[in-house]
Amino acid sequence: MKTFDTSQLVGWSRRAAQASALFIFWILTGCVAMPPSVSNYGPAPSPLELVDTPFYSQQQFQCGPAALMTLLTASGVETTLDDVAAQVFLPARQGSLQTEILAASRAAERVPYVLAPGLASITAELAAGRPVLVLQNLGVSWAPRWHYAVVVGADADSDQITLRSGTDERRVMRTPVFLRTWERSDFWAMTTLRPGELPADPDRSRYIEAVAGLEQTGHHLAARGAWLAGLSQWPDDAALLFGLANAQYALGNFSEAEALYLAMLRKDDASLIARNNLAMTLVAQGRNSEALAQIDTALNQADGSPLLEELLDTQTIILRTPKGISN
Amino acid sequence: MHSKMLRNFVVRLVSLSLLSLGLAQASGAAMIGTQQVIQSESRDARITRVETFLARQDVASQLVKFGVDPLAVQSRVGNMTDAELLAMEGGLDKHLAGGDAIAVIGIVFLVLIILELMGVTDIFKAT
Repeated sequence: MKTFDTSQLVGWSRRAAQASALFIFWILTGCVAMPPSVSNYGPAPSPLELVDTPFYSQQQFQCGPAALMTLLTASGVETTLDDVAAQVFLPARQGSLQTEILAASRAAERVPYVLAPGLASITAELAAGRPVLVLQNLGVSWAPRWHYAVVVGADADSDQITLRSGTDERRVMRTPVFLRTWERSDFWAMTTLRPGELPADPDRSRYIEAVAGLEQTGHHLAARGAWLAGLSQWPDDAALLFGLANAQYALGNFSEAEALYLAMLRKDDASLIARNNLAMTLVAQGRNSEALAQIDTALNQADGSPLLEELLDTQTIILRTPKGISN
Repeated sequence: MHSKMLRNFVVRLVSLSLLSLGLAQASGAAMIGTQQVIQSESRDARITRVETFLARQDVASQLVKFGVDPLAVQSRVGNMTDAELLAMEGGLDKHLAGGDAIAVIGIVFLVLIILELMGVTDIFKAT
């Protein structure tokens, strides 16, 4: 039979206390080391700070409108905080949705470009003179405090990030802390590009996605400028040519649109999307028989294509449109 | 499963009626948009258009329910892409809203955990 003395009991309880303290710390912080892929400052010069970035102090729960207002103003948009709030604030949720931040940027004729995760994406944009809107969770995963702020500076030597945040005009955070708060939103960050501006670190699919969103929401003039800029980065890219052609069509510039669809078809004779839209462009110019010929060619190539029904729709439209009348 | 079939049926029904009204064509339906081309999945574009139409109505009514001025709603949904509308349909409250609000449930939970660790409560015991 084994007996225990008091000193052993004291030791156990101390260890138990240490273990629970560690456990509480672990729960509170959810602490993990950041992989270098996200904590790396990237090749941008350091320190960087866009000191001229305007500041709008947030009203209660309105960090979304304030942060977006900062971004849009820095991007040359003339608007008011009230107008921005009317587009992104959701009263019953006491906050703003990411989707609405993107949508309101489109409403301001800007390209909402969502950055690749990682600090280097932010510093690259800062180096290009654009502040970056980020979504942070200042709380913890199970007691979240979601917060929008705008990164205006980064300093690799002192390992610090500078933000326009809430009611702080110049909030300085230690970078590891910033990264932890940002990681909880899966590193969500975006910036607004003027139509014609390219992102500092151009990612083709992110860029096309962003501009196609402008097209889909009817901002054709902005989309045209953005497609043109895209083509200067990725010349002859079929998706960008198609986007530019669609913008020209939507703006009523049918001969420009026609030339672009034809250019696509010279590269790929079997492009059903180009031929379909070419037919629509011809019918818009009252050239119905040419349009019908194009759609017939497309229908002959469309065996088993998911676009078959679209092509048939187009054919119906051409047949129903009186000759010589453009829409 | 059942509700999905019902939904498909409703979408096709509305699709037919919209087409017969000529609405789909009036909206420039036969032009193929750039977004449609970069999407990996190729779906029936006409069904997608109707689904988007329904989603837009749904998101608009949700925004009003969450306190947005009805006058601002059209411009707000009008600037969302089809993919965004479909993602928000039926569950605007599932998307996180950044606004510095601290969830009360979170604080209650924190207090509960502390109480639990202090041995005051026994809420988290598996039953």
